[in-house]
Amino acid sequence: MSLRAGIALSLGLAALPAFAESGQEWLARMGAALNNSSYVGEFVSESAERTERLAITHRVRDGVVSERLVSLEGAGRELVRENNEVVVYLPDQKLAIIERRSGRSDLMGALPQFEGRMASWYKVDWVGRETLDDFGPTAVVAVRPLDGYRFGYRLWIDLDTHMPVRSDLSDGSGRVIERLRFTRLQFDNDIPDSAFEPALDRRKLRWVRQSPQSDDVAPAWRAAQVPPGFRLSMSGMQSVAGSGGPVNHLVYSDGLASVSVFVQQAAAGKARPQGTTRSGVASAFTTVVDGHQVTAVGEVPPRTLKVIATSIRPAGLATGSRPAAAANRRD
Amino acid sequence: MTDRIKEQLSAFLDGELPDPESALLLKRLERDDDLRGALSRYSLIGAVLRSDGDVPAARQVAARVSAAIAREPTRIGRHAWLPGRVALGRGVAGIAIAAGVAFGAVMLVQQVLTAEPEAPAAVLARAEVPPVQPVSDDGGPLDPPAESYVTPPAADVPAGIAPAELANYLVAHYGYASPLVRRSVGAGLISDDYPALVDAEPPGDAPRP
Repeated sequence: MSLRAGIALSLGLAALPAFAESGQEWLARMGAALNNSSYVGEFVSESAERTERLAITHRVRDGVVSERLVSLEGAGRELVRENNEVVVYLPDQKLAIIERRSGRSDLMGALPQFEGRMASWYKVDWVGRETLDDFGPTAVVAVRPLDGYRFGYRLWIDLDTHMPVRSDLSDGSGRVIERLRFTRLQFDNDIPDSAFEPALDRRKLRWVRQSPQSDDVAPAWRAAQVPPGFRLSMSGMQSVAGSGGPVNHLVYSDGLASVSVFVQQAAAGKARPQGTTRSGVASAFTTVVDGHQVTAVGEVPPRTLKVIATSIRPAGLATGSRPAAAANRRD
Repeated sequence: MTDRIKEQLSAFLDGELPDPESALLLKRLERDDDLRGALSRYSLIGAVLRSDGDVPAARQVAARVSAAIAREPTRIGRHAWLPGRVALGRGVAGIAIAAGVAFGAVMLVQQVLTAEPEAPAAVLARAEVPPVQPVSDDGGPLDPPAESYVTPPAADVPAGIAPAELANYLVAHYGYASPLVRRSVGAGLISDDYPALVDAEPPGDAPRP
């Protein structure tokens, strides 16, 4: 070996980290940072349809998570969350919508471990290190879906703070459909309560409450067919703005992605024909089953929503959920 | 093609173009190849927006064209200013237009569905930043549901859920969204180009305590 080659090899070895980097380990560090950190910052959400700048204030205090998102463009809409209560403020419509749920462990859940059954649907890969202009060196981890029923993620995790400072959401063929990147991030353990007050006159708003009437009720409806890995994780009744009556709410989850299914009596002459609506990373598929409007909503590919929604049956007729056929499985 | 014609095409496909204007548009369709091509493209866009890109949806749009054309001879007969020979010719031309629209829309949808997916990149950390693209279905046939319980769609209601309804459901879904995309869902909800959220109050509305 020449001297030059020897020096190059030595330098290369020295540049390697002292341990084999693991995507799983970096995800665990990121999960811990997300669960425990308090911070303020700004980020940009980019999709094919829109680019939006938002401010975020996030505080964890005595186990209570508070978060405020503010759109920095236009009317200044806001979303404020305190534990399991979410309020969406729409000053341009003089409207506020409250969604409140009782304390459920799976609500606003933390990042899951990608082990066990999760490993059947997602593969976690260590990609490498990359230096971002705004944040310096990051660890890049990919969470790849193993079939076409769920989305994939690529995460840029800050080496010092372990916070995800950029994330790309990709569809089953690897195309990026949404990018979220921080442009400013500052840790602060003394964020006051006033930081979560909306910057608008709440007295001028019309308040609409979307609340569960009951959680954990025996489901009156069930999906006879679900994509592999999806299971029923919640069943309840609730009101939904504009629905005009109680709505069955079912949640199917593969441990990471989730699909909410809403079932309600179809109003005479107003049932919506089958079709898909999309909004950024979320889609909705609606159809009519046995005189009921069935709408599946979630951050999954439309095909996943379609499989679940079109197989919804009265619970007595759907004995358990059988998995749908594999879709473009990539092991 | 002028903007006005484009608007008429769009309104026609939405079933919102008044009958007299529909008649004029159909006349123009008979003699204008470009206009028929545009109708096919608009049909595709409408079908993809209202469905998830399946071919039957495109056929439904074509069926609407066909139905509108089918109404034409009646109207022509009522005014009795066209000889039967011409009316018959118009009917044949109408069928041809509908067939053309159906063929064009179906072919375009099939092109979308059968397009080669991009190969997942063997990604390196310093690879180029890929562009952000619209959400797309992965393609490929789905297994039909086990039982046929789906009732036929109502005729006068647009397919798919309205954006305002979607927003209401997204608020209810927000707490269950994946922790990796929950902020994206939240960002979508407060985005300025998001439509109005509610147009009716549900039972139990109450002022905030």
